[in-house]
This record gives sequence, structure tokens and C-alpha cells, in this order.
Amino acid sequence: MLNDLLLTLPITIATVWVLVLILCEAFVHNANLTRWLTAIGFAGIIASIFLIPSPEGYAYGTMLRTGTFTNFSNFIFAVSGLLVVSISDKYLEEEEINFGEYYIILFISTIGMMLMGSAANLSVIFIGLETMSVALYTLAGMLRKDVRSNEAAMKYFLLGSFATGFFLYGIALIYGATGELALPRIAASLQTNGVSTLFWIGLSLLMIGFLFKVSAVPFHQWTPDVYEGSPTTAAAFMSTGSKAAAFSSLIIVLSNISIALPNNAVLQTAFAYIAVATMAVGNITALTQDNLKRMLAYSSIAHAGYMLVGIAAGSNEGYSGVLYYALIYTLMNVGAFGVIAVLERHRTLTNASDYAGLFKQHPLLAGLMAVFMFSLAGLPPFGGFVGKYKVFAAAVEADLTWLAIVGVLASVVSVYYYLRVVIFMFMRDPEPAPQANANATGSFALVAIAVIVFLMGIFPTEVLKLADNAMKVALK
Amino acid sequence: MPEINLSTAFFIGLGSLTIVASLGTILSRSPVTSALFLVLNFFALGGIYLLLEAQFIAVVQVIVYAGAIMVLFLFVIMLLNLEDEQRLTERYDVKKGFAILFAGLLLVEVLYVVGLKTPAIAPRLGTVAAEIGTAKYIGQQLLTEFLFPFEIISVLLLGAIVGAVVLAKKNFGPERATAKTTL
Amino acid sequence: MHQYIFLTILFPLAGFLINSLFTLTNFLGWRTKERETLVGLFSSLMIAIPFGIVVAIFLEMLSEAERPAHLVEVYQWMNTGLMNVAIAYQVDTLSVLMALIVTGVGTLIHIYSIGYMHGDDGFSRFFSYLNLFIFAMMNLILGANMVVMFLGWEGVGLCSYLLIGFWYDRKFEGTAIVSTGDAAKKAFITNRVGDFAMLGAMFLIFQTLGSLNYTDIIAKRDAFDGTTVFWITLLIFIGCTGKSAQLPLFVWLPDAMAGPTPVSALIHAATMVTSGIYITARLSPLFLMAPQTMEIIAVVGAITAIFAGTVGLVQNDIKKVLAYSTVSQLGFMFLALGVGAFQIAIFHVMTHAFFKACLFLGSGSVIHAMHEEQDIRKMGGLRKYMPSTSTTFFIASLALAGFPLTAGFFSKDAILAEAFASGHIVLYAIGTVAAFCTAFYSMRLCVLTFLGEERFNKSVAAPTTSSVAEQEPGGGHGDHGYDAHDDHGHGDAHGADGHAIHPHESPAFMTVPLWILAALSLGAGFLGLPAVVTEHSWIHGWLESSVMQAEAAHHLSHETEWILLGIGSLVAVLGLGFGYFVYAMRIEIAASAKRSLAFLYTTLLDKYYIDELYELLFVRPVQWLSDKVLFRFDTSVVDGTVNGIGDIFMSLGNGLRKWQSGVAQNYAVAITFGLILVIAFIAFR
Repeated sequence: MLNDLLLTLPITIATVWVLVLILCEAFVHNANLTRWLTAIGFAGIIASIFLIPSPEGYAYGTMLRTGTFTNFSNFIFAVSGLLVVSISDKYLEEEEINFGEYYIILFISTIGMMLMGSAANLSVIFIGLETMSVALYTLAGMLRKDVRSNEAAMKYFLLGSFATGFFLYGIALIYGATGELALPRIAASLQTNGVSTLFWIGLSLLMIGFLFKVSAVPFHQWTPDVYEGSPTTAAAFMSTGSKAAAFSSLIIVLSNISIALPNNAVLQTAFAYIAVATMAVGNITALTQDNLKRMLAYSSIAHAGYMLVGIAAGSNEGYSGVLYYALIYTLMNVGAFGVIAVLERHRTLTNASDYAGLFKQHPLLAGLMAVFMFSLAGLPPFGGFVGKYKVFAAAVEADLTWLAIVGVLASVVSVYYYLRVVIFMFMRDPEPAPQANANATGSFALVAIAVIVFLMGIFPTEVLKLADNAMKVALK
Repeated sequence: MPEINLSTAFFIGLGSLTIVASLGTILSRSPVTSALFLVLNFFALGGIYLLLEAQFIAVVQVIVYAGAIMVLFLFVIMLLNLEDEQRLTERYDVKKGFAILFAGLLLVEVLYVVGLKTPAIAPRLGTVAAEIGTAKYIGQQLLTEFLFPFEIISVLLLGAIVGAVVLAKKNFGPERATAKTTL
Repeated sequence: MHQYIFLTILFPLAGFLINSLFTLTNFLGWRTKERETLVGLFSSLMIAIPFGIVVAIFLEMLSEAERPAHLVEVYQWMNTGLMNVAIAYQVDTLSVLMALIVTGVGTLIHIYSIGYMHGDDGFSRFFSYLNLFIFAMMNLILGANMVVMFLGWEGVGLCSYLLIGFWYDRKFEGTAIVSTGDAAKKAFITNRVGDFAMLGAMFLIFQTLGSLNYTDIIAKRDAFDGTTVFWITLLIFIGCTGKSAQLPLFVWLPDAMAGPTPVSALIHAATMVTSGIYITARLSPLFLMAPQTMEIIAVVGAITAIFAGTVGLVQNDIKKVLAYSTVSQLGFMFLALGVGAFQIAIFHVMTHAFFKACLFLGSGSVIHAMHEEQDIRKMGGLRKYMPSTSTTFFIASLALAGFPLTAGFFSKDAILAEAFASGHIVLYAIGTVAAFCTAFYSMRLCVLTFLGEERFNKSVAAPTTSSVAEQEPGGGHGDHGYDAHDDHGHGDAHGADGHAIHPHESPAFMTVPLWILAALSLGAGFLGLPAVVTEHSWIHGWLESSVMQAEAAHHLSHETEWILLGIGSLVAVLGLGFGYFVYAMRIEIAASAKRSLAFLYTTLLDKYYIDELYELLFVRPVQWLSDKVLFRFDTSVVDGTVNGIGDIFMSLGNGLRKWQSGVAQNYAVAITFGLILVIAFIAFR
């Protein structure tokens, strides 16, 4: 038992720390203290991943997986949380929702993500998914006096529960078909007993749950409404951490059962079609968005599409590409949302036209935003390019060249709406425009993110190797 | 045509009751009626669980859902005093048609799979089916094999509680510093 | 030692980053004077350290008997999937020699710039660009594969663009050009044409070999068939005509003189423009497989040499003369490449870097002293004011002219001898004429600038048409240089304000580099003594291991070679002498020649109307087409297709937007729909 606690140190730390946070908030009532403690918690998780990386294996029976894959995905979640915390405080104060509970819920959500990213059992995936989702529903409704925020929370909750229903039903059917909940044993059962139609239905339903969370078409429609209504910083968290969690969980399920599915061309084709639809709808709809938060929502749909290309490839290459993509996407998207949060004022000043001439007034912010936009558009030498290259290359290797071509075309379309922001910022004349309220922590975090995004484009190899390694060991 | 024994007859009866109760829940105009149909639905489901020799689930179903949760539901409905239920109904439109169409299609698909393609039933962990449903067995499982999910689900509940407090509590703003209680 | 080569790339990069920080934080701020020198010295150090490292590597290699190419892999950029891109550097005799030139001349020019840019608002910005340029240039010449090379190639193009337009708000004259910004754009666009050709070549190579490493290309060059090699080499050469300013893409280089003079010296004379020669020499085995391309290169080189040489005869802007001279000298280098004398071409790159950098820096010193005046007709007699500048300028001019025993003499003569030996007698003749022109305009430049009477304080108040014949305003020709200078800021110093110019010698920051370069212009030629003197010159021995030479090295008998050397010396001396005679003693000859050969004169002055020709051939037709034809076409057809595609996407987007009804139930319906599709697809394969 003690050994298990140590093996899953990030989760152990997080679970203990969340109690500390709640007690602290309950007795001290100081949001700033809670914020710092939350940041320390995330930093502790990151530190534990690096200092005491868990060896390959299982913990708590076969409930949790440990090892490189888990380390990598936990790192993504913790980074996402840490970055969101560091860009949050000024925005929350501005919107008068500077509650300590915001950070506590954020932290609880991260525990859910970590459960998803290290699960080896469908029951744990489900609990993780729910923990994450319930926390996110609350985050969406944080702007309690704002109708749009209430609506976002309600919509997210209703549709999320709807999808969770399917997800749970899928788990039930899979259990019915194989008699197992542990993923390795499911694979073993499939190998001995064969793959039944019931299992396929169960798997499809399970996939629907994941596809909803990553906002793949046609399960995506909640995304723009929820991102727009939620507090901007919460949207940053939803679009990155939860997406990364759903993808890592999806990879865990697929890589486990792929052993038992000698020819998963059907699954591959299904993901390929969904990826195409997702990239197309996400990018094309983003073209017409003026509101940057909605634009980023559609862009996040499109990016889910790119990541699904890696899933469709169905190889280690593809999966590790998705991991890398999830990391770089987390960085650049939190960055983009962070800049929006700095400039936003009570739901105004979020349109692209509000950014006219930003460069003249806030050169630093404009420069940072430009870096994030370029990276999101996938232009070299930024990290986004490497991520895209990796998933598309995996698709080509998996004989899905057509899919890679569609992906490249979709990215070409995406350049339009990302660069539109840049053009507004640098080439239009300023209007009596926003006063930025970036504080030291926020600016520092944003600059750091931009630098890392840049570095991950120039020196991607080390991180790519880590991602590759995570997949290599995980599949053995 | 399988032989009709008592349990089959019960199953058909309870199953029909479940369907009728579900339809009643979504079709009835008054929220109270709707809620009561839901209670009926839960009872029927509990009966089905019993048929499947899942006694523990059956009891939980009745106590928690039909008992606690539905009572809460009814209280809320009555407190909110939703008399003007007409406002909640929407006009019949194409989307509703789509909804019915898709639901039907989904039903067909599931029936097809469950009905025509007999699934391979996996071995049952070497335990007698009757034993699985008992409180004792479930308790054992929860505290041995499923200990981790059982424990970690507390984080989920914690999150839900904190979330509920944040969203629902009155006077929860900057002035909160004076209000002493949060949790 | 060679494994430390990456430092030579990191230091300039660090310099760029730190200088950018200086610029961003306005480090110079109020204390410009004190901190300027600090910033300048720091930037110079960032180039001087790499120079030291390269020298160490050079010395190490010098002591080795065998000089194999060392591959230094710094970083695997994307070690995944189909393509491995490594940031790797190839240290061999060719790249080390080039690196010596780049960092050595680069250091001197950095130091010089401290004096030249003194007091400029963009002081630290200037140095950050300069460091960035060196960074890119080092990647270009040291890269072990064509990807790194191309990154450097684009990088130097970018820096060139940034530095030409450094004073982006100043006016600058030229065909269809009014400001330095336009000149920068012209350079950028012209270079893009060449870049596409280069990319095409890289694509062809990758398609055949699956690798872009030089070692692979050269080792597996037999995998190419004849046609492919022809196209690859031709495309590379077209790329080189852009970067190295050959016909027909040379037009940007004269206009690139809009940039600060140190930039002209570093980028547009000594280093960047020679990168085309470097690439060709680097891939010499490939070029030797394509004789047709070689012929094209030789012919284009020779024509460019004579063409630019003749244009240089009549230009009046001191920097324009040097610019055309550069184009002409680059033509000589390509002539050498075309006849298979790759090593000689690199030798000329080196000597040219010394004397042309010296000339440009000297001209910068003069311009500095003359308060931004660039017209040589308004100079004269500067020798007594600027002894260092004039002496070094004169030495470098001699080298440019190919005066016997100077650096230029040996390299230029070797090129002509190779052309002769390979049987290209016509090209040899053209080259000789071009050499004569070179000598003539070198002397003209020296005489008009430094000798004779002082014209700078008279020109505005009382134009002395008698003394300088060429100074008649409005001789019927479009004298761009003259007109434009009068109506823009440069004239202010002596014109509008009425202040007289008091030329003075430049500070030591500027003169010391001049002396060093002048010394090199004199001495560097002995590294490549002709075959008659020493059977195996140093430069041949050094480049042997990295640059292939054409077969049979074109052996000439000693007699022939002596004769060629004699002709070369004679041409240089005659050209210089004639130039001195005309401009220092009988200026009226020039005037009468100008009158009697007015047509020829204006043709040359207007650069054979090449710019006008392009204007007529490309710019105007495109404008006409777009105005008359395309406009209608555009509104109907193109709007219907190109813009239409955009519209289609937009309306698609709008259509998709309508599905976004905002009603949660509808979203649930959509989810169910997706669910049905997925189950149908997966479960009922």
C-alpha cells in the first residue's frame, strides 16, 4: 500500500494537497494564499515527476499504470494547471471572482486528469473523467452573476452528462462482452475469446465519451458556447488540460486493446473520417468568428482534429505525436487565452478588431500574442509546427497520406484567422484601446510560455524523444 | 421462442413498466406527475435488478434514488412552485423530429446487435452469479480489488461539494471576508 | 579543435540576442556617447572570438597532412519520421577558408562601424542586425547539409533586407525606386526568384537521394542521370544569380547601396554576394557532371563582368561605381567556376573580399568626411585631408585593377589564364577587356575623389563646369545620381545650411581596419602564385581536399603563361595609366569623349537601360495587364475563383455557424447523430 502511494506519487501528493488547500481556504479565507499554495502544489507535482519518476508497472493491483507515459501526461496536466494559475489572479480580480475555491476546483480537476492519464482500469478512467468534468462544470459557472457563464455551466453539465451516459454504457457493454474492467485483462480476454459485436458497440460508446471531451465533430457544439461563457482562464484550462487528459486516456485504451485487434483498419478509418470532419468544421467555422474566445474555441476543435490524425495513424509514432502535440498545444493555447485574459474587461474587448494597433500600445503583449498565433498556425520555427509535422508524418507512415494532405490544407486555411489577429495588432491603427493589466506573475508566465513555445520549435528533439519513449515502453 | 417461465414473465412485466414509466416521465405536462413517474421507473428498475440477483443494487436503487433523491426532487419542484409548466414545453419542430428519428435509429442498432448477434459472454470470474449481487461480496470487492476507485471517488465527491458551494451560496463575493463559514 | 565550431555560430547569435535586448530596453538611452563604444566593442568581440576559434582550427588543419572533412553534429532537429534534419556543420578546408574571410573581414567591419555609426539612433539595432548576419552567414558556409545552408541563405537575405532598409525613411534614387525601403524590397523580391530555384534544386536532390547532406550528394552523385544533374545545377546556378548578383538578376545590388556603407562592404561586397560562388564550389563534383551548365555559367559570368565593368566607367556615385565593380568581379568569379577553376574562384573570393571591403570602407570614410555626400564630382583633393583613407583606397584600387604583384593581380590573372587554357578564347578576350575597364574606372575613382582640385565647397555656390567636364548638369541624360542627391537630405549639410564642408580624417576605429585590409590586399595574392612561379600554389594545396578541380587542370606551357601574365599586367597598367592621364591631366578628353559618344555614355550611365528594360518587360506589362485586362478578368473570373474560394469558405463557415443554434437539446441531437454514425460504421463494418 505504501509502495503504491509512492509509485503514484503525483496523485498522492495532489490528493493530500487538496485537503491542505480546502482547510487553508476554510480557515484563512485568503484567495491569494490559496493561489500560491495551489501553484506550489502543481510545482510539487512537477518536481516529483522529475525527481522521483515512477518505474514501469502497475499500482493498486491493476488500477493505475505507472511509468514514462504516465509521467509525461501528468507533466502536461500539472503544467497546464500551473500556467493557468499563474495567468488567473489578475483576471479573477478584474471580474470580481477572486475566490480561493477557484484554485481548489482547478486542482481537483487536475487530479481527475491525472487519474485519466494513468488509469489501467475502466472504472478509474470513469472516476477520473467525472472528477475532471464536475470540476470543469463548476469552473465554467464561476462568473456567478453572469448569465452567459451560468448558461455555459448548465450546457456543459447537461451535454457532458449526456456524453458520460454513453461512456458509462460503453464500459458496461465492454464488461458484458469481456467480463473485465482492467484494460490489460480486457485485451487478454479479447485474445482468447475473440472480439464480439457487443464489444465493438461498447468501444464505440466509450469513444463517444472521449470524442465529446476532445470536442471532435459532431460532438463539438458545446465548445464555443462554453468557452465563450466561461471565465477566460477557465476556458484556457478546459481547452488544454481536459483535452490532453481525454487524449491520453484514449491512447491508453487504444494502445491496450490494439494488441488484441490485429487489424484495426475500421477503427483507423473511423478516426480518420472524424479527424477530417473535425479539422474542416473547426477551421472553416473559425474563419467567420470575430470574438477571439469563440475563434480559439473553434481553433481548439481544429487542433483536436490534428491530434486525431495522430490517433488515426494508430502507431506509436502517431500516439507520441499526439502526446507532444498535447504538450505544445497546452503551452500555446494557455498563452493565447492568457493574453486575451489580460486585455478582457467584463466580456468586452475580446473581438479581433479590439486588438487594432495593440503593438503600438503594448508591444510586449502584441509580440507574445503573435508568437502564440504563429505557433497555433503551425508556422516554423515555433513548436506548433513540430507537433503538426509529427502527427502528419505518422499518418503518412501509416498509409494515410490523404489524411495528412487534408491536414496540411486545413492548416493552410487556419493561417488566415490566426494571422488576421496579428495583422490587426501590427498593421492597423490603434483605437482608444484597452489598458492592459498584466501583472508581474502573469507577464512572466506569458513570456516564459512564449520562450518555451519557441524553444520547442527549435530544439524539439529532446521532448520528442521523451514522448517517443513514453509510447515505446507503454505499449510493451 | 424461449420457454416462458416465471422470471421471464416478471422481466417482461417489469420491462414494460419501465418503458411506460419513462415515457410518462418525459411526456407528462406536470412536473410532479413527471417526478412520480420517475419514482415508478426506479422501482421497476429495482425489480429488474432483483431478477438479475443483484440484491444490493436493487436496494440501493430504491433507497437512494426512489427514496432520497426523488424526495429531494419533489421538494424542489414544490418549492419552486412550477405551476406554469406550459412555458417549459416547446413547440413541436423539425429538430424534435430528428431527435425521435435518431433515438429510433439508435434503438434499432442496439437491438440489432443485442438481438441478432449473440454476444460472447465471458466467464464470470469463477463466482456464482447469485453471490455477486450480495452486499457482502460487493463490500469485499470494494475494500480489496476496487479499493483505489472506492477511495479516490471521495475526491470526486469533494469536488462536487466545493463546486456546489461555490455556485449556490449566497453573498459569496469580495465581501465574503466577513462571512465566516464556507464549508 | 574542429568540434568547437558551433561556438563560432553561437557567439554571433548571442551577440544578436543581447544587442536586441539593448535595443528593446533602450540601453543606450541618454548616455549614448559612453555606451556606444561599449555596445560596438561587445558586438565586435562576438565576431572576433569566432575568428580566433576559426584561426585555431585553421592552424590545426594546416599542420595536418591529410585534411579530411569533419562533420560536427550539434543537434538533431527532427529525428523522426521520414526526414532527419540535423543541425550539423562541415569543417573542411573550403568552409574554414570561407569562415576565416567572413569572421576576419566581419570583425574589421564591426570595428569600423563603431566609428561609422557613431551617433546614429539605431546604433544597437544596427549591430544586432550585423551580428545576426554573421550568424546566418556562418550557417550558410558551415552547414553540412543543404537545409542548414538554406536557412543561412534565407537568413542572410533577411539581414540584407533589414540592413538595406536600415534608414528606411531616407530617400534613395533609382528606377521606380524612391526610398531605401523600396530598394530593400527590390533586393528581397529579386532574391526570392533565385530562392525558388534553389528550393527546386534541393527538392530534386532530395527526391533522388533522400538526403541533403553534402557528403551524400557528392558520394552518391552517380545516382543522378544527366538531365537531372543539368536541371539541378542550372537551378542552383539560377539561385546563385540572385544572391550573387549575376545577369539577369543583378539589378538589386546597385540599389542595395542604400544601406549604410559598412553593410555594403560586409554583405554586398565581401561575404553574402559570394555565397553563390561558395555553393557552386561546394558542389563542384556535381557541376563537373553537367558541362552544359558550366558553359552557361562561364558565359553568364563573362558577360556580367564586361557589362558591369563598362557601366562602372561612367557612374558618379562613389558607392555605385564600387557596386558595379562588385558585380563585375563576381562575374569574373563565375567565369572561373564555368571553366572549371573552382579553386581559383574561391581564391578570387578571398582577395576580392579584402580589397573590395577596403574600398567600400574607404568610400564610407570619405562619405563620412563629406557629410553624406556620395557624388565624386563634388569631391576631389581629399588626399591632403585624409591621408590614411586615400592611401589605403589607392592600394585597394591597385589590387582591384590587378596591378602586378597585388592580390587582385594574381587571382584575376589566374581566372583569365584558366579561361584561356580551357579553350574559351572569346571569354578570355571579354575578360581582358573587362579587366581593362576595371583598371580604368579604379583610377578614375581615385583621381576624382582624392586628387585634383577641391570641388566640394564650390559645387553649389558656383558650379565649375570647366574644371570637371562631367559635371555639366542636364546633359540630356537622366542623371539619377545627381538629381536625386540634390533634392534629398544629403545636400543639407552644405547646400541648404550653407555650411562649408571641412573634410577630416576618420577616427582610428575606421582607419585601422582600412590599413589591415589594405595590407591584405597587397599581400594575400602570394597565397596563389601562378603555376610558372610555383608548381603547386598554397591555395591549390589547401583547397585540394574539399573542392574538385576540372580534369586535366588545363596545363599551359610556361611560355604561354608568361605571355598571359604579361598581357594581364599590361592591361592593368595601361588601364590605370589611361585613367590617370584622362582624369588627372587631360580632363577635357573625358568631356569631348562624352560629347562625341553621347549615346554610348548615356547608355552606360543608365546601365544599358536594364532597369528600364525590366520595367518595360515585366513591371509595366504586369501593371498594364492588371489595369486593363486583369482588372476585368479579376472582377469577373478571379473574383469568382480565387476570392470565390475564400467566399466559399466564408459562406461555408457561416453555414456551419447556423448549426450552432445555442440550444443544448439540438447539440444533444447532433451527438446522437454522431453516435449512430460511429456505431453503424464500427459495429457493422
